[in-house]
Amino acid sequence: MTIDLLKRAGWFIVFVLVQAMVLGRIHLFNCATPLLYVYFVTSFPRNYPKWGILLWSFLLGLLIDTFSNTPGLASASLTLVAAVQPYYFELFVPRDSVDDLKPAMSTLGPLKYTYYIVVLVVLYCLVFYSLELFNFFNWTQWASCVGGSALITLLLIYTFEIAKNK
Amino acid sequence: MKNLLEFLLKHFHWFLFVILETISVVLLFQYNSYQNSVWFSTANVVVGKFYEWNSAVESFFSLTKVNEDLTLRNFYLERQVTQLRRLYGEATEDLSVKERQELEFLSQYKLIPAKVVTNELHRANNLITINKGESDGVKEGMGVACGKGVVGVVYSTSAHYAIVIPVLNVNSSRISCAIRGHGYFGVLRWDGKDAGIAYVEDIPRHARFKRGDWVETNGYSSIFPAGVLVGQIKEVYNSRDGLSYRLQVRLTTDFGNLRDVVVISDNTIAERLRIMQEARDSLRIKN
Repeated sequence: MTIDLLKRAGWFIVFVLVQAMVLGRIHLFNCATPLLYVYFVTSFPRNYPKWGILLWSFLLGLLIDTFSNTPGLASASLTLVAAVQPYYFELFVPRDSVDDLKPAMSTLGPLKYTYYIVVLVVLYCLVFYSLELFNFFNWTQWASCVGGSALITLLLIYTFEIAKNK
Repeated sequence: MKNLLEFLLKHFHWFLFVILETISVVLLFQYNSYQNSVWFSTANVVVGKFYEWNSAVESFFSLTKVNEDLTLRNFYLERQVTQLRRLYGEATEDLSVKERQELEFLSQYKLIPAKVVTNELHRANNLITINKGESDGVKEGMGVACGKGVVGVVYSTSAHYAIVIPVLNVNSSRISCAIRGHGYFGVLRWDGKDAGIAYVEDIPRHARFKRGDWVETNGYSSIFPAGVLVGQIKEVYNSRDGLSYRLQVRLTTDFGNLRDVVVISDNTIAERLRIMQEARDSLRIKN
């Protein structure tokens, strides 16, 4: 339990630093920003306390916000994804699986994992950019931001997953 | 209590979710000037729109009262203008004394505001119902006017309603009226055709007036005070026997759009009727 907590805290710091130092400064085509830290929220195992997921995600969002100077933006979106994650993940769990099944490509298989991760990432980008632009007059920009960021984030997550399996 | 605690524990994460989201949203709108301004202006637009609707509805419902007041006020001012115009014409004596007399004369009339309940235009003998009756002080023979001009005479009353014979009644409407500024008087009648046109009959041949002159009540009848507007002279004809003029008058009252009226209650009406009756009786005895 303690080891798990420490490990999670380690990843937490890594995601914050990576986002703050590197990924947060990337604006491909002026719209696509990798939001890799959402991977942290999607990786909570089955039967992890829901309040724990919420708190972790909120704190992660708060820190990201602190570095990117957008208070409340990432924390609001991440908390929402964290609320959805346990319920959504339950849909993909095979019948005879362990209690603390981790959502990963190796445990779910590529197809199921794709369903799982794409929806959560797109949901996150959707909420994030809706809150950031906060109007839909400029909806082409909004759509390209959501699409571009979701795409590049997913690309990074897949890279990560594949690298982890090897 | 135990159940409640269990319930709270079971759904604790939802409460936590709401709390965390609230914190985030507060942060978002508090510390981001862009989101803050968008939120603020949107909220302003919404609230403004709501208040606009609200006030529109409110003002619509207060229109009834406003209309009533305006009708009364209009009638009063119309009368006052007439009196003052006459005063101006006769401005040979001390004005202030006469003015005071005239205003006193005005105050002898009591005005009872009423609403038209039923109205008709298309018959030869039209009748109007108003929503004031004996309990409001309306009696037979009282005059009825609206803000624009003369309407008719109360024919019969019940406790809360009264039937008015309007100008647009071929058989029964005989309102005594005169040409403004000249004083020649005649009787207002309607021919049963156009609701906007009536005729003033029995204007003497020696009367001098012109088309476009105004016709108003003359105050002889004790039904209407002098100076209630009737209409404007459109055409001048000879009467059938050629002894008098017959004036075609465009009525100022729009009978097709009649809503607020006032019943004119003259305190002296009873006295005047009584003395007239006495005079008639005594003449009849002599004959």
